[in-house]
Amino acid sequence: MSTAPAPSAVPAAPARLPLRRPDSGRWFAGVAVGLAAHLDLPVVVVRVALVALVPVAGIGLVLYVFWWLTVPVGDPATDAAGSRPSALQRLARRQTLGESRRVPFADLALGALLVLAAGVLVAMRLGAEVDSTWVLPALLVLVGLGLAWSQLDAVQRRQGDRRRISVLRLIGGVLLAAAGVLLLVGESVGRGVEPALMVQAGIGALAVLLGVGLVLAPWWVRLVRELGDERAARAREAERADIAAHLHDSVLQTLALIRARADEPAEVARMARAQERELREWLYDDRHEPGTSLAAALRAVVAEVEDSRSGPTGEPVAVDVVVVGDRVPDADTQALLQATREALVNAVVHGRPPVSLYLEVGPSVVEVFVRDRGDGFDLDAVGSDRFGVRESIIGRVRRRGGTARVTSSPQRGTEVHLCMPVGGTAPSADAAGARPAAPDPAAERRTDPQEDA
Amino acid sequence: MNAVDVVLVDDHHMFRAGVRASLDDRVRVVGEASTVDEAVRVVHELAPPVVLLDVHLPGGDGGGGAEVVRRCVDVPGTRFLALSVSDAAEDVVAVIRVGARGYVTKAIDPAALSDAVLRVAGGDAVFSPRLAGFVLDAFGAAAGDVATGDDELDRLSAREREVMRLIARGYTYREVAAELFISVKTVETHVSAVLRKLQLSNRNELTRWAAARRLL
Repeated sequence: MSTAPAPSAVPAAPARLPLRRPDSGRWFAGVAVGLAAHLDLPVVVVRVALVALVPVAGIGLVLYVFWWLTVPVGDPATDAAGSRPSALQRLARRQTLGESRRVPFADLALGALLVLAAGVLVAMRLGAEVDSTWVLPALLVLVGLGLAWSQLDAVQRRQGDRRRISVLRLIGGVLLAAAGVLLLVGESVGRGVEPALMVQAGIGALAVLLGVGLVLAPWWVRLVRELGDERAARAREAERADIAAHLHDSVLQTLALIRARADEPAEVARMARAQERELREWLYDDRHEPGTSLAAALRAVVAEVEDSRSGPTGEPVAVDVVVVGDRVPDADTQALLQATREALVNAVVHGRPPVSLYLEVGPSVVEVFVRDRGDGFDLDAVGSDRFGVRESIIGRVRRRGGTARVTSSPQRGTEVHLCMPVGGTAPSADAAGARPAAPDPAAERRTDPQEDA
Repeated sequence: MNAVDVVLVDDHHMFRAGVRASLDDRVRVVGEASTVDEAVRVVHELAPPVVLLDVHLPGGDGGGGAEVVRRCVDVPGTRFLALSVSDAAEDVVAVIRVGARGYVTKAIDPAALSDAVLRVAGGDAVFSPRLAGFVLDAFGAAAGDVATGDDELDRLSAREREVMRLIARGYTYREVAAELFISVKTVETHVSAVLRKLQLSNRNELTRWAAARRLL
């Protein structure tokens, strides 16, 4: 007999652990393992004691079943932490130990029962004197009870698909047990099993059950309702704890990093900015599913640029983002975002802060303005062979049927205006992609620097 | 020129100290408060021309900065400039709807904050790019929905929309004026008109935001 890993593997709390039936290390229902953890005894001792108590008027068995029914499933160490006042609890979840493989003792017990039944049948065939009149009903009752009770553990463990299965188990168990009881009663009264009597008894039993059910219904309804409320409250609490844990985790990490690199002001400013951005998103923004929000995608682009690029003198640059409206991103807005990213990088690296970014999502057009307060540059002075502004910003947007305009002057800095038609008016991605990047004259004129309407 | 007296209301001591140190000599801090009740008392006592007000404040009935503004409507000549670390729409709209003359985030640079205080003291509205973005969001940024008369509260005029878009793009009032070939005074008039609409309009978006903060 191999010794199952006892829960002493988990770090022991100073006080006595609560009585729980742990999932790991159990043989049958986890009663012995849970008891051992609770009493701080070797699990073998508990098992031996329980087995030794079985012959003594079945005390061992009764105790085992009693604890199985009354002690909840759970990990004693985790629950010990959970019973502390919530203010003292840490918010981050503890690492859990890997679950050990379990011996399928429930299945073995069922198999043994079947073998026993088969043995009894064989013995009867061979002419052994077995009082078959009560053995069959008793077996029926036992199997029914076992089936009905077995859902107790199953319900606590599994989540998916459990309703249908547990209902099936319950119905099967009740039918088997009822048939067994009726047979037993009929047998003990000594009148055999008369169908008419069975039906009569069945109807009587049903009527009693119905009456009791009606009386208890309000109590049961209240119980269900309270359970629902409690569940909702717990879900809210768990969500809050999740958010808090996330925030604490990231903030703590950033603070540790900042302390370690306190003599590098640029790096400290960048980390503080990244952390501020993340906190802001958690606290004040509606968090979107990935791929459903252009505004969120834009913020991700801004975050990337802020984290990876520095201004002309090496200092980090914060981008002031204002977004009006939102839509689901598509291929066109993806191109617009890439062009926006290039414009942002230009503004951060070559311009001067503050850098402003404005995104406006209209019903038929999406517009982006990227502005910095640098000395500006002359677009015509940038060689046409260079892939900077001309290709990565203007070309990208124009291939998708949009327009791009760069306004630049020494007094007012540089502003890039990107405009992308969306919705029904936009050409399909294939058509736009297949078209050569030949600039149409109207758009070319608009890219002239220093010209603004 | 005399310095403008300001009362500083914020529940974070460190932040109050920082603001006090960063304001230039055109502005003088005459009082401070850290809770709703304290703020209401101090404002009634000193009746300053400008109150720099944090949106999230403890105390009172839990209404934060908006509650301070509401309980101080009987103080004549005092104007409120909201100053918050939050840029959530509900927070912004909540204080503007009850009568604050502007909204700036705490990330504002010191010179701009002093400018904003002077502007509010002069009776004008202060719009950050973010606030302009909210206005465009709330009133609909589409160009078709344009007010025709001055008395129309639920829509922006074409000019007001242009001004808001430029402010949202990061333009200062002066740059907006140069861009649109109008005077700075005219820009201020437009901005004040937008502020009035923001406070009085019954547009769904605004009432919804206000309802979310239990202001109705």
